[in-house]
Amino acid sequence: MTCHTDTLPAALIGSRVMQRAELERELEQLHPASFAWALGCCRRDRDDAEEVLQNVYVTVLDGRATFDGRSTLKTWLFAVIRRKATAYYRIRAVRYALLLRFGGGQASSPVQRSQTDLIGALAQLPRRQREVVELVFYHDMTVDDAAAIMGVSAGSARVHYDRAKKKLRVLLEVKS
Amino acid sequence: MNDDDLRTAFAQLRESESKDVPPFLSGVPVPSPARHNLRLAFVAALLVLLVAVGYFGRKREVMTTTSISTWRAPTDFLLRTPGRELIDSVPQLTPQIPGGRS
Repeated sequence: MTCHTDTLPAALIGSRVMQRAELERELEQLHPASFAWALGCCRRDRDDAEEVLQNVYVTVLDGRATFDGRSTLKTWLFAVIRRKATAYYRIRAVRYALLLRFGGGQASSPVQRSQTDLIGALAQLPRRQREVVELVFYHDMTVDDAAAIMGVSAGSARVHYDRAKKKLRVLLEVKS
Repeated sequence: MNDDDLRTAFAQLRESESKDVPPFLSGVPVPSPARHNLRLAFVAALLVLLVAVGYFGRKREVMTTTSISTWRAPTDFLLRTPGRELIDSVPQLTPQIPGGRS
């Protein structure tokens, strides 16, 4: 999945009138990737991901979260999604605890089974490890971009990345 | 399992999840300029109301002040001590001596 928009035009950032229409168009282009990231932040709960993403769009389009052009729009948007998801689950902490036991039904095809295994393995990773590995492997981002989204240093992100890969390998090999 | 295997596994997951993406801005209320203006008008009206209440409230307070001759301190009652009537009035000294001349 590739990012359609690397940076917004400088004029767009300054002009508030233009910003809304242009921003909507950019958000629409990033929507599939944003939804996939929201799914990752919401432990693959579709309803929660939709709600979080809806909150993000309202926040962004209302101007309560403004893109300052210091990073790519995708990186900034992913960071907003991550923050919103964190806040969402902080409020609904009880439901979050219940969601830890997901991936219940047995998938029929080998591909579906491997996906269920991957989702299950991801669920066992600590939050930062899960996030960095998803951003790199699922969203084709660099570790540095992942660090910016997660709000940690690049070095720290690299440590999480290495540990996540090792742990994922062990978990997936055990399951297979 | 190496990095390529992980990449393949994630690619499969991404492919299956990308098939079922909800439509963009589904259920998101789009704020219209009219609604925004309405909110601004409401805030402005509220401010005007607050200023008016503050102004007229203060004016009424000024009008209801009493003159100094009729003013009583709120703590006036504290000066009314027990036995005060004995001090306020002069006692009558008309002793009734038994057997004496009146």
